[in-house]
Amino acid sequence: MIDRLSELLQYRDLIRQLVIRDLKVRYKNSLFGFLWTLLNPLFMTVVFTIVFTIMLPQSAVPKFPVFLLCALLPWNFFSASVMTSTSTILGNGHLIRKVYFPREVLPLSTVLSNLVNFLLALSMLFLAMLLLRVPFTPWALLLPLIAAVQFLFALGWAFFLSAAAVFYRDVPMIMDVLMLAWFFLTPIFYPMSVLPQAQTLLGVTLNIQRLAYILNPMASLVASYRVVLYYGAPPAWDFFLRTIVTALAFLVLGYLFFVRYSWTFAEEV
Amino acid sequence: MSVAVSFKGVSKRFTLHHERPRTLQELTIGFLGGDRGRTEQLWALKDIDFEVEEGETLGIIGPNGAGKSTVLKLVAGIMRPTSGEIVVRGKVSPLLELGAGFHHDLTGRENIYLNAALLGVRERETKAKFQEIVEFAELERFIDVPLKHYSSGMYMRLGFALAVSVDPGILLIDEVLAVGDEAFQRKCLARVEEFQKEGRTIVFVSHALSTIAEMCHRALWLDQGRVRAIGSADQVVKEYLESVK
Repeated sequence: MIDRLSELLQYRDLIRQLVIRDLKVRYKNSLFGFLWTLLNPLFMTVVFTIVFTIMLPQSAVPKFPVFLLCALLPWNFFSASVMTSTSTILGNGHLIRKVYFPREVLPLSTVLSNLVNFLLALSMLFLAMLLLRVPFTPWALLLPLIAAVQFLFALGWAFFLSAAAVFYRDVPMIMDVLMLAWFFLTPIFYPMSVLPQAQTLLGVTLNIQRLAYILNPMASLVASYRVVLYYGAPPAWDFFLRTIVTALAFLVLGYLFFVRYSWTFAEEV
Repeated sequence: MSVAVSFKGVSKRFTLHHERPRTLQELTIGFLGGDRGRTEQLWALKDIDFEVEEGETLGIIGPNGAGKSTVLKLVAGIMRPTSGEIVVRGKVSPLLELGAGFHHDLTGRENIYLNAALLGVRERETKAKFQEIVEFAELERFIDVPLKHYSSGMYMRLGFALAVSVDPGILLIDEVLAVGDEAFQRKCLARVEEFQKEGRTIVFVSHALSTIAEMCHRALWLDQGRVRAIGSADQVVKEYLESVK
């Protein structure tokens, strides 16, 4: 295992080159190029702001664009990482069959290039904060830590899904549906506080708000981003620590699964 | 002389999926129908033994489907044997096909950096060798043009220039010298000879029997995954030619 990790380190230039390739190829031949990284969240913000402040004014949240972007940008990062990872091994089949290199490089560079996009897109959020006069507090300095935890969580998924998609080709279709459901179950365009604390379902009283926190690591991550940027307050430490543990567990399990099956990729892709 | 590559009792089995359930739907249907999918076991290599000494050039010959490329993939570490033991000492040039990692939307320059990294070369080494690679490939004028505008000859020249720039202890060559025009082929062979003089180990797969006889010290004749003969290149090539007559 240590050998494997040190070999991965040997190939760090390859990881860098693949990230550069991903970013270059994504924006070459498109009219606005890299601007799409910024335009996409801008359009989404406009649409959601119209829906939730003009069409559904009763659910209005002050300074809605900032409120939304704090959650939407991290969500886009996660969702894009998950969806592109399902094709990263299959899409590079010609390399897998012909060239030896540590296969971990592929999911890793996929998530990294999505991380770069996320960091670039954050400039839209900072711009919105300036325009709408949402003050930056020292708690905003926790942003890199939260992003790092999210990166590890996404990487765990990417390891697992990229390998699973080689053996079951409907993984991307399953994830399409799953990610849509997950988007609505995560407090992205609504605040966590609208979730009921006591909801009776089939005769059992459930604290939906707490359940959402416990069962959905993305809810906890999104809430952490939002609390340090939008509310300018410290995150809920107990939930955040739990999320770190969850992210690390996903990373380790995903990596072990990937390593276990990676040597058969050359025969299966 | 120490041994650079050794195969001991190496077998490789492939599972051919005729009706393998590829999706969960097919899996469920197959499961309900009591059909687990038809598979066939194919032994690409069966109980192979051979050694390549350091500094030696070994040619591998045999008809299509004999398992030649599988041997190279096992040496490169792309696949693992089903049984048996493989020992490889030294850095293997892991490229089995010229330009395997080329991306058509990227320029020649960008592809050199990407592909050198794929071969495990650090970026500063690539930077140092960049000029040499471009000159060998004779692509000075086209280095900032996207690869999709390259002719197939230019493409192969860049691929070969990259493959030989890696500085491997063990070089694996799979039919790659059969490309390019006469002049470039000669240039490639000259480069391979240089490698031989430098004492590098080369494993060479080709259907060009005259090249094998000329360049290799020894040859390995594979037939249906088994070793038919191994010995001096001239002798093995002669036997092989007689058998196909």
